[in-house]
Amino acid sequence: MKLNEHQLDALRELGNIGASHAAASLSMMLGSAVDMTVPEVEIVDIAGLTRVVRDEISAFVIFEIQGEIAPGGYLGLFIPKTSAIRLTNTMLGMTDTDREINEMDESALLEVGNIMMSQFLDATATLLNIVMLPSPPDVAIDMAHAMLQSVIAEISGDINSVILFSTELVCQEHEVTGSILLMPRPPMLTDLLTLLDKVMNGSA
Amino acid sequence: MTSIGLGSCVAVMIFDKKRGIGTMAHVMLPDNGGKCDRPGKYANTAIPILITELIQAGCTKRSLEAKIAGGASMFKSFRGNLNIGDRNVEALKKILEKHSIPIVGEDVGGTSGRSVYYFPLEKGRASVKRADGTCTDF
Repeated sequence: MKLNEHQLDALRELGNIGASHAAASLSMMLGSAVDMTVPEVEIVDIAGLTRVVRDEISAFVIFEIQGEIAPGGYLGLFIPKTSAIRLTNTMLGMTDTDREINEMDESALLEVGNIMMSQFLDATATLLNIVMLPSPPDVAIDMAHAMLQSVIAEISGDINSVILFSTELVCQEHEVTGSILLMPRPPMLTDLLTLLDKVMNGSA
Repeated sequence: MTSIGLGSCVAVMIFDKKRGIGTMAHVMLPDNGGKCDRPGKYANTAIPILITELIQAGCTKRSLEAKIAGGASMFKSFRGNLNIGDRNVEALKKILEKHSIPIVGEDVGGTSGRSVYYFPLEKGRASVKRADGTCTDF
């Protein structure tokens, strides 16, 4: 899988718009500022996923992307365990950070992820002039690599590298960090690039 | 040898206890569907390689034993999940049986991820570490 500079730029811009909407919704939910890094688009060999994530315990909220686009793409929100606990504490008015993630945290994380990812997809779909919707979300709390690998296995049947689009979100006031990952299968990636090309050339 | 963070993937280890030699593959999918670019990725193409390498190193097929670990379903209610973990485990068991290699240890299925540590020199000892920090030999 090869992308030229122009395509990488277009994808970064797409992600930038999606992530900034997701960050804005997180900021509203936390009632404080959320910074985001410039999105990175990276083509990662499936054997090298440990370069992206290790086995630190994290929460991973995951969605399948649906709508007017070739199927087979996932959108995920990664939040390291300690951040996840601080995030739900802030939302639920709790203070104890030295604890395990419980069911209440899980459902709060599902909801935060749902709101953020809906914003992400809505903003990018509007840009592309199509409709995109997230599937009902699922969440797991486990080793980051194991979770990412399970999702990648779904999309990598016929490919050996995946395109990972990632942005990091940081809320300094509450010490919460997270990252958004977009993982399209090749047909969805092709659709995205075609639509982006149309938008950029003003023919949409 | 170590395999960090297995979700639906399965680590398959084949070893010769007497000689203290072992091989390991990190299998992601059950079947290669005719593709041969990356044999270690698929259950049906990984096992023959593991065996061939051991035989080249002087082992006899009769003396080989196997262990498998992994194959979790991490996103239970997820629509898109085709239970790749279960299918990987099933495929590996079938292929190992076809090659008459007994499975002497396994830690498979469930919903949680694993890291696998494997010591061929110590009679093929293997150990898994789970997300909650618990370690078990198998």
